[in-house]
Amino acid sequence: MRYILIALLLAGCSTTVPVKQKFPNATPELMKKCEDLKKIEGDKVAITEMMKVVVHNYSLYWECSAKVDGWQDWYNAQKKIYDEIAK
Amino acid sequence: MWILSILPDAAIHIIFGLGILGTIAGFVLGFIPFIKTYKLAIQIISLLVLVLGVYLEGGLADYKEWELRVKEMEAKVAQAEAKSANTNVEIQEKIVEKTKVIREKGRDIIQYIDKEVVKKEEVIKYIEICPVPKDIIDLHNQAAELNKGAKK
Repeated sequence: MRYILIALLLAGCSTTVPVKQKFPNATPELMKKCEDLKKIEGDKVAITEMMKVVVHNYSLYWECSAKVDGWQDWYNAQKKIYDEIAK
Repeated sequence: MWILSILPDAAIHIIFGLGILGTIAGFVLGFIPFIKTYKLAIQIISLLVLVLGVYLEGGLADYKEWELRVKEMEAKVAQAEAKSANTNVEIQEKIVEKTKVIREKGRDIIQYIDKEVVKKEEVIKYIEICPVPKDIIDLHNQAAELNKGAKK
């Protein structure tokens, strides 16, 4: 009798809602780290060789910048999707 | 209500039905000899069962409504996950394309230096007369490693 009473008293206790949302995976390209900048090798270097290193480094900068832009796009898109669910 | 996950729906309907039948029996059919003997007990028990039945029926209705909402939410989440995956593909393609263009442009400039710039008389003369001073190279290399101190 006691157990029935306890069961009845606890009958109103809530249960958790089993809806799970997975954290979205990041785009693989965005997970790649930015490369280190190239250094100029040698003591006596022609200006053209130096220029090539500078151009290479500019390329690395813009590649990294593209990744940052990509992360911003990814965040904004995922936030929009998440907000739509929460509505 | 956790009890709803244990009790089948039919049991709740039966409890509610028994409550109604018992109440009717206790309050209306008191003239029947058997019921007349246990009238008070039947009235009390059936009222308690009816209260429990009403409570469980209400809970069940609420539970069903929540179940429906959970299903709606699950559908929304599944849709969002698919959308998220598509977005990832779009972003991936965009970045790969952008990176490819940047690399190609950089390579083109370097090739242009190797093929055209180094052949220019003005440049050849400059290279012969003025190699880049070591201090300038060192400064460039230091600047290229500005992040090293903060890396760990």
